[in-house]
Amino acid sequence: MRGKFLKVAVAATATAMLATACGGGGDDSNDSSGQSGGTLRVYNSEPAFLTPSGGDDEPSIYVLRQLYRGLVKYNAETSAVEMDLAESIESDDQKVWTIKLKSGYTFDNGEPVNADAFIRSWNFAAYAPNTQNNGYFMKRIAGIKDVSPEGEGAEPTAKELSGLKKVDDLTFTVELEAPFSGFPTTVGYVGFFPMAQACVDDIKACSEKPIGNGPYKMDGSWQHNVAINLVRSDTWKGEPGKPDRIEYKIFADVDAGYAAFQAGELDVMFTLPPARYKEAKATYGDRMYEQPGDSFTYVGMPLYQDDFKDKRIRQALSLSIDRQSIIDAVFDGRFTPATGFVAPTFEGAREGVCKYCTKDVEKAKQLLAEAGGWPAGKKLTLWANAGAGHDQWLQAVGDQIKEALGIDYELKVNLQFPEYLETADKKNFTGPYRLGWGPDYPFMETYLYPLYGTGAGSNNSGYTNEAFDNLLKEGDSADSIEAAIPSYQKAEDILGEDLPVIPMWFNKVGAVYSENVDQFVWNAVSDADYGATSLKQN
Amino acid sequence: MGRYVIRRLLQFIPTVLGTMFLLHYMTSLAIQFSGNPARALFGDRTPPPALLQAITERLGYDNPCLDQRGNPCFGLFLDRLQNIFLHFDFGVNLRQREVTELVADAIPFTLKLLVIAIVFEAVVGIAAGVLAGLRGGSFLDYTVKISTVFVISVPIFVLGLVVREFVGVKLGNVLRGQDWIPDLISVGVFTPGFKADYPFASLIIPGMVLGAVSLATTARLTRTSIMENIRADYVRTAKAKGLTNKRVIGVHTLRNSLIPVITFLGVDIGAAMGGAVVTETIFNVPGIGRLVTMSARTGESSVVIGVVTMLVLVVLIANLLVDLMYAVLDPRIRYE
Repeated sequence: MRGKFLKVAVAATATAMLATACGGGGDDSNDSSGQSGGTLRVYNSEPAFLTPSGGDDEPSIYVLRQLYRGLVKYNAETSAVEMDLAESIESDDQKVWTIKLKSGYTFDNGEPVNADAFIRSWNFAAYAPNTQNNGYFMKRIAGIKDVSPEGEGAEPTAKELSGLKKVDDLTFTVELEAPFSGFPTTVGYVGFFPMAQACVDDIKACSEKPIGNGPYKMDGSWQHNVAINLVRSDTWKGEPGKPDRIEYKIFADVDAGYAAFQAGELDVMFTLPPARYKEAKATYGDRMYEQPGDSFTYVGMPLYQDDFKDKRIRQALSLSIDRQSIIDAVFDGRFTPATGFVAPTFEGAREGVCKYCTKDVEKAKQLLAEAGGWPAGKKLTLWANAGAGHDQWLQAVGDQIKEALGIDYELKVNLQFPEYLETADKKNFTGPYRLGWGPDYPFMETYLYPLYGTGAGSNNSGYTNEAFDNLLKEGDSADSIEAAIPSYQKAEDILGEDLPVIPMWFNKVGAVYSENVDQFVWNAVSDADYGATSLKQN
Repeated sequence: MGRYVIRRLLQFIPTVLGTMFLLHYMTSLAIQFSGNPARALFGDRTPPPALLQAITERLGYDNPCLDQRGNPCFGLFLDRLQNIFLHFDFGVNLRQREVTELVADAIPFTLKLLVIAIVFEAVVGIAAGVLAGLRGGSFLDYTVKISTVFVISVPIFVLGLVVREFVGVKLGNVLRGQDWIPDLISVGVFTPGFKADYPFASLIIPGMVLGAVSLATTARLTRTSIMENIRADYVRTAKAKGLTNKRVIGVHTLRNSLIPVITFLGVDIGAAMGGAVVTETIFNVPGIGRLVTMSARTGESSVVIGVVTMLVLVVLIANLLVDLMYAVLDPRIRYE
């Protein structure tokens, strides 16, 4: 007992120290230590597209966030939404939103950042024949079905979203398909950043040499697979970035990147090779940055299979898993066990929402017996996609279930990712399956509707619950972000009882930075913020 | 000679077509069995159907035969051949970039790497082989023998990782701490990977690693060949004629001893391209090898087909050149 208390105390002090150490990371431009200047060299892998409409992968987003700016930004520590290019985003009914823009902002080529710049960008992304990956994110805007129809082989009937209307140069309205109180939180994502006319006219050239509107601009073109260099943009009117220059060095493999970091060639690595995690922690100590992340791993329950229809079976399975022991044994402690469905860093997230997410074999056995037991001799099939390192932990899950409940299991881990996802889309799993989720915007709804809402895109378990859907609707049409949270929390409570998926863990962010870095800034929503990270000045 | 070359060139056609069909069939099977690669672009997010369809079409994965397991997709193969040979269009990768563009970006790096590797293994390998061969049983001979066994027995990926860790990072960090060493050496050469600022210097160590295994074989081959030839009649004749030792070794012995070595080096260009797949990935060289690794991992069939076909052509041409070199080196060989 005493040992445990000591550990908690140490952890608390460590957290407090960490909090004070990173406390200066926000927008304290008058802080003398956060001086500007110098060249920041950062690790990156090859981006897919350097356009707001196309870049939906981590490496693209890291570059785009310095080249472009959107309507809102997120507070580094609290993840609260703050106006950036928008003067205001308001709505009376949460369905029609009026967006007023600040004046005086321009793109690097001199085009103004006005209402047209946003409408143009969103329309371009949404129109399916443009094949822009971020078209996915326009799904809430009215008229999306006309530009990106759902039927097999259907042709779009319109080129523009009917929900976007220009009022004057600096004002436009957005009509959504259904009310959504969290709309302002969504528009800070790169998919909603504005695009210049010149960019839309030649999207390929714009990806090679982006025309941004943010604090940095391209220095030369994108050197594919080698480097992307940014310098301070003189057209940016907002708070300037700290480094004079940001160089993204592109690596094909994270181990090669780590070797370059060890050789002093990089100032920031936003990720670490899993195998070197412990070593990095020992070597770099206080220059390693760790924080709970928001990437969620779960074991889904195929509710369309008879064996999993009874919630007590699902509860029993969840109760037989000791998450922490798997995290320690398989992942060197790189995750945080999940006791809810929303990442702990999110506003409105609570501990212990899921009452069946800590190991309790007695209760598990009892629940299984109440549910009439598991079909005798039937094996539990555990699914994961091949070649992504999921076999080991899934096996540990299987072993724990077997030990607790006596249910034998088999692993089905031979499907490649595309086929695995197609199996998920078609609801063809025969047993519990591994999948993950990352938030689209910093609003707890992003963890709820897409995964468990009736008929939602990524609802792979086939879960449907009227009370849950109604609570989400209630939250969606609440007056404000804060007012929406209680409804969402009630909805999450229903999940905690029903367990359409078994929550496993949330990731931990592990980044390292070099001795050249004075203040490293990690944004709770948009991750490493290179523009806000300052270098030591000699 | 001319007819021989033409005959060899004609043989290229079935070889290349055969390779392309095999690649086409394998990548098609991969898609048939592992699903539409365009779907994987979206991961956990289920994409809107129209968008997925548009992207699938854009990437060329929309042919219905890709849904039928085992179907060799002859129609798709003919389309591909047509695009490649009539329009020089190799298709696009998953990020919608032209394969020709990708290859054009990558080739200069791989060529530099190969030149460094081949020069390194030829110069050092032949020199070590000659020295060891001329003084069989000496200390030098044993040094070459033992060190080459050592190098041959270490697979290239192990060698690469060890060199990156100990030469690039650890030794490099020590050198970088010394002010008197110029940056070109400490930052450029002793680096754990390719650097855009030192486009040639930072490729030296990766090139040496790539050439190391073949260097050992080259040295041993030269050594044996020299030992054999040094006792040959024509060498004795040359010596008896009273030629200088330099001329006997340099012109008569070495020239004839180099025939097997040249064969090996020629064939080795192909093998080195294979080694480049490993070396380039370890040392982060943005060349052809790394391109193949990445596209094989993500299942980009157009890239794999395009690049591997080009590699096949490289190997074929290298082999042809080697065969022609024989005639130059050995007066007894004639092509009719």
